[in-house]
Amino acid sequence: MGKLKVTMTDVNGDTRTFDDVEEGTSLMEVGKAHGVAGIMGDCGGGCACATCHVYVAEGWWDKVGEPDDIEFAMLDMVADVMKDTSRLGCQIRMNPELDGIAVTVAPASTY
Amino acid sequence: MATQTTEPRPSQRLALSSEEQRLLAEGTLTDRGIQAHPRAFYRAMRHGDPIHYDEKLGSWLVTRHEDISAVQSDPLTFSVHHGYHEQQARGMHEEFRAYLKEHGGGYFPDAIMSDPPYHTRIRKLMENAFTAHRVKELEPRITEVVRALIGEVIARDGTRCDAVKDIAIPLTIRIIVEQLGLDQGMEDRISRWSVAVTAQIGRMQSREQMIENAKEICDLQHYLIAKMKQREAVPGEDMISDLVHAEVTNADGTREKLTFEEAVSLVRATLIAGNDTTATAIGNLFYVLTTKPGMAELLESVIDDDRRLNRFVEEHLRNEPPVRALSRMAVKETVVNGTTIPEGAHMLLVYASGNDDETVFPEPRKFDIDRPNLGRHVAFGGGPHRCIGLALARMEVKVAAREIVRQMKNIRLAIPEGEITYTPTVATHTIESLPITFERREA
Repeated sequence: MGKLKVTMTDVNGDTRTFDDVEEGTSLMEVGKAHGVAGIMGDCGGGCACATCHVYVAEGWWDKVGEPDDIEFAMLDMVADVMKDTSRLGCQIRMNPELDGIAVTVAPASTY
Repeated sequence: MATQTTEPRPSQRLALSSEEQRLLAEGTLTDRGIQAHPRAFYRAMRHGDPIHYDEKLGSWLVTRHEDISAVQSDPLTFSVHHGYHEQQARGMHEEFRAYLKEHGGGYFPDAIMSDPPYHTRIRKLMENAFTAHRVKELEPRITEVVRALIGEVIARDGTRCDAVKDIAIPLTIRIIVEQLGLDQGMEDRISRWSVAVTAQIGRMQSREQMIENAKEICDLQHYLIAKMKQREAVPGEDMISDLVHAEVTNADGTREKLTFEEAVSLVRATLIAGNDTTATAIGNLFYVLTTKPGMAELLESVIDDDRRLNRFVEEHLRNEPPVRALSRMAVKETVVNGTTIPEGAHMLLVYASGNDDETVFPEPRKFDIDRPNLGRHVAFGGGPHRCIGLALARMEVKVAAREIVRQMKNIRLAIPEGEITYTPTVATHTIESLPITFERREA
């Protein structure tokens, strides 16, 4: 069992905290493992489908960092719900510096 | 998709014109005319009877974006394993299976065309091969391959070619062959194999054609099995070597080697899926460049702007999706958006109709690279079965688009548009041959 902490607010507004996350696990994997609504991760973490889109909470952006060009291109495909704090969950891997991070799943449509 | 619907989604049935009512009553996806030009039929279904039972086909056609999304998000109720294998050589499956067993080294069910949790484990094996980052690393090599191919075509006869047979098909074959570690220079043979495999879910083959296609598949399987045995003994730096030595991780954490049968099916699926549909997308690109006013100019204007070129490619996939429809089977009686689907019913998710759904993509026939929700198109399907090679497909179309503009100009259709023929199949929308004329663009 890991020991890093992640707080996720799903598309329905429910917030849960997971405090046993292993280092190296992506936020998409955390969300899928716990059935966080709105995290689908269709492409399996390949940065190729934008179904694990999250907004990074205030205060964490500097530690998480900007998306690279490839990730930005994918976020651009969901430009209608993209914000300045948008990242794909599959591209954020947990490390001790991110211990305690909070993210909100980007609004999913009903499908 | 993590996006939001801004338009109200009318789940209500809409009133149809008398022509649309006639189409709905008489139309069937088995009709070659409708296969070639299906949009009016899709629209009539989408508006009047969104989950429509096509009696001649024996399948329920799911045509609205919201319903396609709902069905593909529930892989346990709507089984790919049953849907795909029911569709395979439908009506002749026993004979098909027996033929491959007798002449083709075995019948290898498609391991990836399966349901969770088995599917989850198999898919995990394949996911790292074609991530967007891995594909980005391949871009220079893909560019070399495409540049060389178009160069060859121009050198052969600098003014005319068949955009499908001379460019689209060999292009995607050369790339997937290199990734898998197969032999180059077999493009005709691999193209025939691809046609034979995809015909099995096309629903349009006669018994004689099924046997002909099964012969081709036997030839394919013998070729792949020999290659795989070789890599089993002497591994190389290629996907075949990875797959013959691959292990899957079970739910309890134990590891298990893929069976040889599973590995054959995965290599076969990667080879076929890795060339056929992407070639269709590139053929369709030549089609729109030569038939739709303003498209060539638009492509030329975005070629050096990566963001706009990505959007051009994505809108092209929405606008002309290569895969028309893929299968599911309802494992229990289920109501989808007001329509009762019986247990055991075969369904087709009509992606091409979903991409034209005006409640998600306003003015769907308009080619608009500025759509804010482009990522919601279903050309790659969605849910856990979403196309695994999507990043590679996008990259191949993108590089092809760039190299076409760099090397060719004034591309024109060399036959009347009405003479374009489409592969007889319910599964894809594929131009068989596209003669064009062009001028060489000097560097």
